[in-house]
Amino acid sequence: MKPFSFLTALAIAGSLVSTAAADTLKINGSTTVNLVVAEAAEILRAENKLDIQVDTQGGSAGGISMLADGLVQLGMISKHVSDDDKAKYPKVNFVENTIGVDSVAIIVSKDVWDNGVRALSKQQLKDIYEGKITNWNQVGGAKSQRIAFFNKEPGRGTWEVFVHWVYGSPKAAPQVSFPEVGGNEETRNKVAGTRGAMSQLSASWADGQKVFALAMVLDDGRKVESTNENIANKTYPLSRPLTVLSNGPATGTAKTMLDFLLSERGQTLLPKHGYMNLKAVGGQKY
Amino acid sequence: MTKTLSWIFSLLAVATMGLLLAIFIWQSVPVWKHEGWGYLLEKKWYFRQHEFGVLPMVYGTLVVSFIALVLAVPVGWGAAIFTSEYLPRRLRMAVKVLIELLAGVPGVIYGLLGILLLRDWVYDGFEKFEPLSGDTLLTAGILLAVMILPTVVTLSDDALRSIPSAQRLAARGLGLTRAESILFIVVPQARRGLGASVLLALGRAMGETTAVFLVVGRQDNNLPDNWFSLRAWLDSGQTITSKLVSSETNIAYGDAIHWGAIVGLGLILLVMTGAATLLGTAFTRKPHA
Repeated sequence: MKPFSFLTALAIAGSLVSTAAADTLKINGSTTVNLVVAEAAEILRAENKLDIQVDTQGGSAGGISMLADGLVQLGMISKHVSDDDKAKYPKVNFVENTIGVDSVAIIVSKDVWDNGVRALSKQQLKDIYEGKITNWNQVGGAKSQRIAFFNKEPGRGTWEVFVHWVYGSPKAAPQVSFPEVGGNEETRNKVAGTRGAMSQLSASWADGQKVFALAMVLDDGRKVESTNENIANKTYPLSRPLTVLSNGPATGTAKTMLDFLLSERGQTLLPKHGYMNLKAVGGQKY
Repeated sequence: MTKTLSWIFSLLAVATMGLLLAIFIWQSVPVWKHEGWGYLLEKKWYFRQHEFGVLPMVYGTLVVSFIALVLAVPVGWGAAIFTSEYLPRRLRMAVKVLIELLAGVPGVIYGLLGILLLRDWVYDGFEKFEPLSGDTLLTAGILLAVMILPTVVTLSDDALRSIPSAQRLAARGLGLTRAESILFIVVPQARRGLGASVLLALGRAMGETTAVFLVVGRQDNNLPDNWFSLRAWLDSGQTITSKLVSSETNIAYGDAIHWGAIVGLGLILLVMTGAATLLGTAFTRKPHA
């Protein structure tokens, strides 16, 4: 037994880990924003030789909490920072750097679409969410078909946007117990593979082949789809900012990343993934 | 030198365990104060209303583990009898290595297989019972059965092999057939080891996280009126582990009671798996009857 060599090895390993971590730009949060940021990271890795780690643990809530705890330099969120978030981390100066706009769609599986369900109103969504409506034939379906509702996890940006529209705020939403889904990929796959399925999902992920985005029926009876035009003129009610969050103004490599995302080249990444860039929405606040 | 070092390291291990328990208990104090015994006995978990009852998750954990054991134990014991009693030595080692490799496959790989194949099989195979989706307690249980099978096989095989060959020879000499000598001489003597394999597999089943998370459906508060209802197995559910890795952990942070409730889940899980593992180890240690 040579305790020396062992301890030395430990010390060397430790120093390696800590130096590697010091130069790494760490980013975590929403799977929706991730598509754009991950691609930007690829470009910056290749061209600027930056060391960047992008992760999607816990969605927007994960982005906020890891930023606030200092584990990452940038958080990705697909919602606004709420007063609750601010109250939870009073010492953190959240700066929202919005890079684009997305909308949340209510998506259904192909059999529901084929059953004739094409649009839902706020009241219908409320009734489904509260379990008062459990069959698609109560909301325009021709045949009887049970609703298999997959609820986005609490803390997901998509979920917060949904309850904001339906209930006014996440706090006002009743507590319900549905099977839960996390990231966008999972949501789309589970809805696509389940009969009578429905969930909330970033509209850009609704491919119109396996999962279909329903139109929203407004209070005045108009049906609006989540087209870019309807999002830009704000008639589609479920739009949301795609935001990169920093603690105070971004500095160093985090600023490099942010500047790139807001540059003309970075902004072309948004339409590529089905989102709208700042130019397309005319620079309005979301 | 070696003796001192080994003492230090053993103490370190014990201290780590003690510290772990202490932290879990200390961090979960707020929820015990808030809920009292209701934390263990209440059936509703609504974190925004600060209602924390863990019963549905304990139920979920027990059900998926039970399904896994029911499926894996007979197959595992059968396979162990085959490898230890019938296979020639060399072949036995080869098969054993393969099976132990299975035990090393990460949970997320099994989880992906579960998503690709098992969800659809359960969904279509049990269609006449109308499961709402393929994410069910049963799906998770079947997946877990595959995952714990290697543990059952390899531990049972060790238990059977530890019975001296003289016993088998004597049995054969008395005129018993091979099958009789295995069933009436070897297996009864190895029963402690066989039992231990079940308990240790149970410990693994209750603690498995990623694979279960991916196929169990993560539906809160799904506790049937009758705990023994089989139909409830075809509903989505929540286990302690699937709750612990959900996004709620991020939300809970900063809210002492909610955070305490999450840590408390960890504590309950630790006690459950700890009990199964300790019992399993105690089982093997005792001298053979």
